[in-house]
Amino acid sequence: MIGQDAGLSGGAPGAPRPELLGHQAADGAAGGSSAELVAVEDLVKHFEIRGGLLGNRLIGAVRAVDGVSFSVRRGETLGLVGESGCGKTTLGKVILRLIPATSGEVRFRGQPIFNLGSREMTSVRRDMQIVFQDPYGSLNPRMTVGEIVGEGPYVHGLRSKQEREDLVRELLARVGLNQSHIHRYPHEFSGGQRQRIGIARALALNPEFIVCDEPVSALDVSIQSQVLNLLDDLQQELGLTYLFIAHNLAVVEHISDRVGVMYLGKLVELAPVDTIYQQPAHPYTVALLSAVPEVNPRKRKKRIVLKGDVPSPAAPPPGCRFHTRCWLRERLGNPERCATDEPALREIRPDQMTACHYAEEITPAAIEAAVDAGSKASPPFAPAEPRVS
Amino acid sequence: MSGPARGVAVPERRHARRSTERGSTDRPLLEVKNLRTHFFTQDGVVKAVDGVSFSLDDGKTLGVVGESGCGKSVAAMSILGLVSRPGKIVEGEILLDGRDLVQLSEDDIRDVRGHTISMIFQEPMTSLNPVYTCGDQISEAVSRHLGLGRRASAERAIEMLQQVGIPDAKRRAGEYPHQLSGGMRQRVMIAAALSTTPAILIADEPTTALDVTIQAQILELMKELRARNQMSIMLITHDLGVVAEMADDVVVMYAGKVVEQSDVTTVFEQPHHPYTKGLLNSIPRLGERLKRLEVIRGVVPNPLNLPAGCLFRRRCPTAMPICETAPPLQEIKPGHLSRCWLTPSGEPPAVGTAAPADVAEAAAAELSVEA
Repeated sequence: MIGQDAGLSGGAPGAPRPELLGHQAADGAAGGSSAELVAVEDLVKHFEIRGGLLGNRLIGAVRAVDGVSFSVRRGETLGLVGESGCGKTTLGKVILRLIPATSGEVRFRGQPIFNLGSREMTSVRRDMQIVFQDPYGSLNPRMTVGEIVGEGPYVHGLRSKQEREDLVRELLARVGLNQSHIHRYPHEFSGGQRQRIGIARALALNPEFIVCDEPVSALDVSIQSQVLNLLDDLQQELGLTYLFIAHNLAVVEHISDRVGVMYLGKLVELAPVDTIYQQPAHPYTVALLSAVPEVNPRKRKKRIVLKGDVPSPAAPPPGCRFHTRCWLRERLGNPERCATDEPALREIRPDQMTACHYAEEITPAAIEAAVDAGSKASPPFAPAEPRVS
Repeated sequence: MSGPARGVAVPERRHARRSTERGSTDRPLLEVKNLRTHFFTQDGVVKAVDGVSFSLDDGKTLGVVGESGCGKSVAAMSILGLVSRPGKIVEGEILLDGRDLVQLSEDDIRDVRGHTISMIFQEPMTSLNPVYTCGDQISEAVSRHLGLGRRASAERAIEMLQQVGIPDAKRRAGEYPHQLSGGMRQRVMIAAALSTTPAILIADEPTTALDVTIQAQILELMKELRARNQMSIMLITHDLGVVAEMADDVVVMYAGKVVEQSDVTTVFEQPHHPYTKGLLNSIPRLGERLKRLEVIRGVVPNPLNLPAGCLFRRRCPTAMPICETAPPLQEIKPGHLSRCWLTPSGEPPAVGTAAPADVAEAAAAELSVEA
């Protein structure tokens, strides 16, 4: 297909993006380093929990995103992993201002977007799009493919029906769908094809930045690879920047240039993909990687099995949020500091950020010892009574 | 009420399970022979399971792999007699220790279901009853199948919750499913399924809805319980990692048919069928960064309108003229079955030549999606 050696690094930064729609990004690239496309600064999103007699007294908050800072570089794919409830989807939506933030700021091309008026925001939105997880729930069943993909261009001023149809046909071809399907409805397509429609919709306004929220997790394995390759090709051709949110670590490793790991509303590690998969510097990252089943029956690995569930984001533990399940803390004799001081994200190796007080203690030997300890001290199951034999 | 005697305090296995108890040694515990389960819909007949045979040996784990719609879940439902209209088992035998389950009356199959064969489902939220406490759901099975009284079955429920690693089991037994997390609910399901110490556990995508760290917990739990209870597991999943980790033998299904079957290392290391190869090559693997994933082009054929000949033909990179005739499932090596015309070494058979370009093109044009 296209660009054999272009790999995952994306188009050269600053290369002119090919035109799809006759609009070029308003020259709003004021300020901000050119490498940084999206900057997220201390972003917080709390969902209020209301209760009481009339159901309107504030009784708490789900701290879905709780002070997250990072930046997405132009042309890269930043993968964001974490388990359900860690706030990764909320983060993606807040960055696009699809839901309002509680505090913090997001800069797009150096421009803060949270205080923009609706007209200015509309123009920024052309350049920031999203592909949703559920290809069944995210397409309006009463609209044809042409209407779904053409809606954005219409809203943004492409009023000529013929031009819109031409554009939609071009987009359908680009995402690998048959152009003659323009008048069909979503239910006539398979899951993978629907996801392609969702991608065509996101591309319709010729954006620079796309948030992909679990774009392949609802798809069958053989279809997943088709969609991943498509996203890869589009990045090469159009110079796109992706924030790729997923829970599948192998998929994220495949597609990302850098990876961020979230736990309970916090970013706990951020590093280039090879670093994070080979030298993880946060005990949670280590455990996540160790939990993935190996696709090789000869390597039935022993693993670090975390105890218990993720605590509720409405009442996260004090100190380090991971300390209640942390295998490293246990190994170090449960230092008090983990339960009291919240670790800040710090640079442990060049370009590798971690939020762990004891990241230096994570060595291959320590990991191996933890795996062994876990498999010997058989997990918290009741003593086996000889039931049958 | 039929079935064995009831009223024993300590549940002990009354059904044969180990070869020593069963007398005959080489008969598999569960044998499915040429099973056909079809759904008679308004639009036509869907052959969800169409001539599937496999067997499950004592204490072994059989992985059944395939994508959505390949019939793997329907095969499991057929074993448990849970296929209802418009579906029907139109042919085949399901031999549990020599007894054909297809021929059993509804009453008799009830005694098997949940007792000798238990099942856990993918969605713990929708398969637990929301208006019963976790303890009740387990004790229901216990009193039904083991004939224990109310107090004894309630105690058994708490004991089971402890066994699957639920902390504070006594309190949890009084809670409702919505009060538990996904991983906890799956544990409750497993506890309910295992409360009668079944000889066979059918696990339909048991970890698909769970996060990786919780999946790891559940897999470890299943391994431990498997070793402790010496039970056989039929593990249905699309996750090749889970299969590689858990299974002894593997059955790969495609469009209602078994396309490949062997022991787990053979299937993963020397796959013969192009579909199995495609599946294994299309998944990204941890620690192996490829520039590009291989794809299986196209989509699964419409079950109402299956192509003639090999069902995988239109997506197959090695399709040949001979593939217009449906290949049989044949033994290419001892214990290794594949439904493909390729020779055991993977060469096209002597009669056919490589796929003509026009066949491949016509097939590609027919499918709107291309790789």
